[in-house]
Amino acid sequence: MPRSSSAALPTAHVVLRILIVLNWLYGAAVLTLLTAMIVAEQWTFKALGITPSSGISSMITGLRLIAALGLLAVPLYHAIFKRLFAMVETVRGGDPFVAANADRLQAIARALLALQVLSMVIGGIAKAISTPQHPLHLDAGFSTSGWLAVILTFVLARVFTAGTLMREELEGTV
Amino acid sequence: MAIVVKLDDLLHDRRMTLTELGQRIDITLANLSILKTGKARAIRFSTLEAICQALACQPGDLLRFEPEKET
Repeated sequence: MPRSSSAALPTAHVVLRILIVLNWLYGAAVLTLLTAMIVAEQWTFKALGITPSSGISSMITGLRLIAALGLLAVPLYHAIFKRLFAMVETVRGGDPFVAANADRLQAIARALLALQVLSMVIGGIAKAISTPQHPLHLDAGFSTSGWLAVILTFVLARVFTAGTLMREELEGTV
Repeated sequence: MAIVVKLDDLLHDRRMTLTELGQRIDITLANLSILKTGKARAIRFSTLEAICQALACQPGDLLRFEPEKET
């Protein structure tokens, strides 16, 4: 096995573990922000630099909606990281071409699709509530690379499924 | 499966053991057992050729089609 690939697997193992924890921390942070926006509305918006002006109520509602939608991303990312982690483990175990991995890749593709849709919805809301007084710059919306990743993952999942079936056939060949 | 492998019968007729056949055609005993018990999904032409040569038989002597009964 080449040196680079032998180092890649333990690295991926550690990075994915860190990402799983970071994702939950992100979720906790967004949940705290959402709670603060409801419980301590004035204090939170003052801290965010949003001063009372016309159209502020729609912005507050929009920001709450964005935070709530942001929370939906947490289980989606968790599903991706968890499955990717399991796939890395099968590679480390020396048997990655199994039906379970094809199913995992399919589930990852679906989660990526949901994240892209979520990103577009959040981007749309941000655009709608952004005002010249309070411009909202969020890293959300349509992403060519994101959609390409979705298509690529769906295709890879199909390739993996076909490959797994071929391998099963080969295993039963005498 | 509707394809039945008659390796056991052929071996019995030739007074040959599975181990001996495996040694002659250079196929592991495990793989020959899979074939004998009908657990194989497919058989390579090269395996078929080797078995036919070792047992002096035709492919039709080794394989038989038996339609599965509908339940």
